[in-house]
Amino acid sequence: MSDGYHDNEHEHHASAWGPHDWSHGAPHNSWSPIIMSIGIGIFLYTVASVYSWGEMVDSSSIALVLIGMMITFFGLLIWWRQDASFDGVYEPKATGTPFQNIEIRKVAMWVFLMSEMMVFTSLFSTYMRYRFGIDSCQEVYESGSWIVNSQNVDTGEAVNCFLPASELIASSWFHIAPGAINTFALIVSSFTIVQALRWAKKPVGSVDEEVRRKRVYRYLGSTWVLAIIFLTLKMVEWFIGFYIPAIGPFHEHDIMSLVEEGYTIHADHYHPHHGWDDVHLAELAALHPEDYQAYLAAVGPNYEPTNAVMLADIRVSSSTFFVTTGTHGAHVFIGIIGLTYMTWKAWTGGYTPQNAVSIEYFGLYWHFVDLIWVLVFPFFYLY
Amino acid sequence: MSDHLLFGKFDLYWANFIGLIVLTAIEVAAVGLDFSETITLFILVGIAIPKFIMIAAIFMHLWGDKDSKILTLTALFPAFFIVIMVLFIGLTHPEASIGLPEWCRPGYYKL
Repeated sequence: MSDGYHDNEHEHHASAWGPHDWSHGAPHNSWSPIIMSIGIGIFLYTVASVYSWGEMVDSSSIALVLIGMMITFFGLLIWWRQDASFDGVYEPKATGTPFQNIEIRKVAMWVFLMSEMMVFTSLFSTYMRYRFGIDSCQEVYESGSWIVNSQNVDTGEAVNCFLPASELIASSWFHIAPGAINTFALIVSSFTIVQALRWAKKPVGSVDEEVRRKRVYRYLGSTWVLAIIFLTLKMVEWFIGFYIPAIGPFHEHDIMSLVEEGYTIHADHYHPHHGWDDVHLAELAALHPEDYQAYLAAVGPNYEPTNAVMLADIRVSSSTFFVTTGTHGAHVFIGIIGLTYMTWKAWTGGYTPQNAVSIEYFGLYWHFVDLIWVLVFPFFYLY
Repeated sequence: MSDHLLFGKFDLYWANFIGLIVLTAIEVAAVGLDFSETITLFILVGIAIPKFIMIAAIFMHLWGDKDSKILTLTALFPAFFIVIMVLFIGLTHPEASIGLPEWCRPGYYKL
């Protein structure tokens, strides 16, 4: 016990409740994970008894739900007190293999992002499963089977089929515009945040501090604006729609939102405003002889089109779309909260080369959000 | 990493940014040009993969930094589980749903 480390340890009296003293070696044990696990456990168990399939069935457990949340929050406070770098500069390093000498927060962010990747993978897997597992509405329509089964607007019987959102979104340049602009917005925002990091990291003396302050807050502010644009356009695309005036080659018309088009998670009796009628199907079949034979085989050679319109239950397809893009949108929203604080901090001149890693770690999260969109956009919006 | 140049001339972040913008423009245009479904899917996958790598390697610093190797391995760690999920959930045979119990088949809404 004569070496310096153990002397320090002896004097340090490490507590599993108190802050880490990083100058006395590796971090000590903590009660925080156990407390948070208990809190989350109580919360989830009691929430499950309060709600059943979206409806409140037992309000007596609400107090326990709140207690679970408070215990979780208490655990978070302990964690924050122990691990937060209150001077904003000190960056603890990992001591264990394989991350030895890498910043702990950086490793933690990567591990967190990989858990996020699993979340999105489960959403993608679900989408692929249903996309390939259920007949597409267009195929069902062109097969003519819905005529034989009387699944039309008049009977109120709906055929269960998959209608990808891209059928509506990629139907015109105007419909695709919000999603496409959002894609560019996220790419630009990924660029602006690396520029903020670059300027924050420039060594002291190599750049005027006022120039650094302005550059960092302008780049972070730009990222914030682009994130707001993203969510605004998402609302336009989902709920609001927009108006196209008569300019040049364009005639005056409204671009309807997905919800206005009837593409909702409750759409068990969906039919488009134009199309899916048997008159059009007969014309289409006549244009393609090979399809015409299949059509005749389904409806019989003596079938006369009656202007019946196919009715579809598309709740699976719309749910997979809204849950996946909504989860991504929630990540953008969380990013906006972080960016609001960071932009304010940058405006007050709070970023220096010593604490620029905060921008780097947030940037990892933000790039991840962009990364997910790189997959969501083509496979949910275009294909 | 932040001051690396591409081919000794171009700022890496700028080059990556412009590359991503161009690839996205091609992606959108490909859909607007009404190719067949197979070709469209091929183009979209063919563009999404390099975009994914460009963001991860350059913007997220998985390429060229001192910790790149171990962090790349960390990033690839979930790949095993992702492959399992995609293969055994995402790409199960389309007819598989018929063999599932009624309550987990598509179209069962008696909740």
